[in-house]
Amino acid sequence: MFWRKTRAAIERFHPVHQGLVWQRTASATLPPAEWNALVGSLARHADTVKRRKWRLPDRTVTVLVPLLRVLCEDVAPDGAIGVTADLRGPRVPGKAGPSRKLPVRRPVRSITEWFAIDPWLAVRAELRDGSVLDLTVTDRVRYRRVHKVNPRGKHKTKTKTKTVQRITARRTLQPGQDVRRPDTPPPPWITVRVKSAKRTVVGATMKLGPAPAEVDQVQWILAVATEPFRWTPPAATVRRTA
Amino acid sequence: MNPCAVTTGFFLLGRCGRPSVTVCRCGRAVCAEHVDPQGLCPECATAQAYADPFHPGWARGYRRRYYEDSSGQYSDPLWYSRFDSYDRDQFDAGDGFDIGGDTGDDGGFDVGGDDGNDWVDS
Ligand SMILES: [Zn+2]
Ligand SMILES: [Zn+2]
Repeated sequence: MFWRKTRAAIERFHPVHQGLVWQRTASATLPPAEWNALVGSLARHADTVKRRKWRLPDRTVTVLVPLLRVLCEDVAPDGAIGVTADLRGPRVPGKAGPSRKLPVRRPVRSITEWFAIDPWLAVRAELRDGSVLDLTVTDRVRYRRVHKVNPRGKHKTKTKTKTVQRITARRTLQPGQDVRRPDTPPPPWITVRVKSAKRTVVGATMKLGPAPAEVDQVQWILAVATEPFRWTPPAATVRRTA
Repeated sequence: MNPCAVTTGFFLLGRCGRPSVTVCRCGRAVCAEHVDPQGLCPECATAQAYADPFHPGWARGYRRRYYEDSSGQYSDPLWYSRFDSYDRDQFDAGDGFDIGGDTGDDGGFDVGGDDGNDWVDS
């Protein structure tokens, strides 16, 4: 009852915004103007919604919004950006793999290890030079639940986690678009694959361990996305955008 | 009126080209879409730091830093200068918005009303 007004306010938010509140996921393919409308809606969230339970997933503001801002710059008004975001975190059902026991020594009684794969972001942007950019971010979390008995006979358990992250950026060029190997190789933490076909594909992959801090996340995504753009000469990227 | 000389795009650089409504203190012709409430172009408004990605101009403000950062990460100074020279070329108004069309002299520079001597290197 108490939160009825807040709930009503949320129901007036952009539909994608509502999905981020209720399901903590987003899946939509929209033109830049519509994504800008979403960002405008998200901007009103903090002032409107004070209830913790209904707050936005952290990565909405740290990753999704800045990334949309960047991509909207490179997509024509009639182009589209597709976003599939699952911001529920790695601990939801379906993301954890099978567990196994690791060998232990006293006082540890057991160590159970399992991994969770969390592909939390996939973005596809139709850029205004006719190329298509695909970005993905996947976290792989290792869990180790340790059960031990202390000298006073008390049982204790603790779960340790370790997260590594994989970021991929793939740009599918227009048929006939100029491709040129950059003068310098990418940094050692990025691997590049170029597939020459009718439409050349330049893919870059980075594995990061540990996963970056929330505040640095978008910079790492943009760092990986950089490589495919180094492969087209600047002249080919020039397009009047009136 | 000169066309708006604001650099558009993030990875794919372009030139706005809409009719300008004013001239920024840096000398850029700026259209109604790109001028900020203080009459500044997005690049100069950046100096006033858009830390907030909810700000509509955030990506344009962040762009130069992105090129600096990624240029460093890739040890690729060309990557930054590619952006920088493109962005600076916009002062050569009327160059047909062609990156190859660097006129190399300020003769063609017409900012209507601005004396052009108070440029600030950004
Ligand atoms: Zn403009
Ligand atoms: Zn300016």
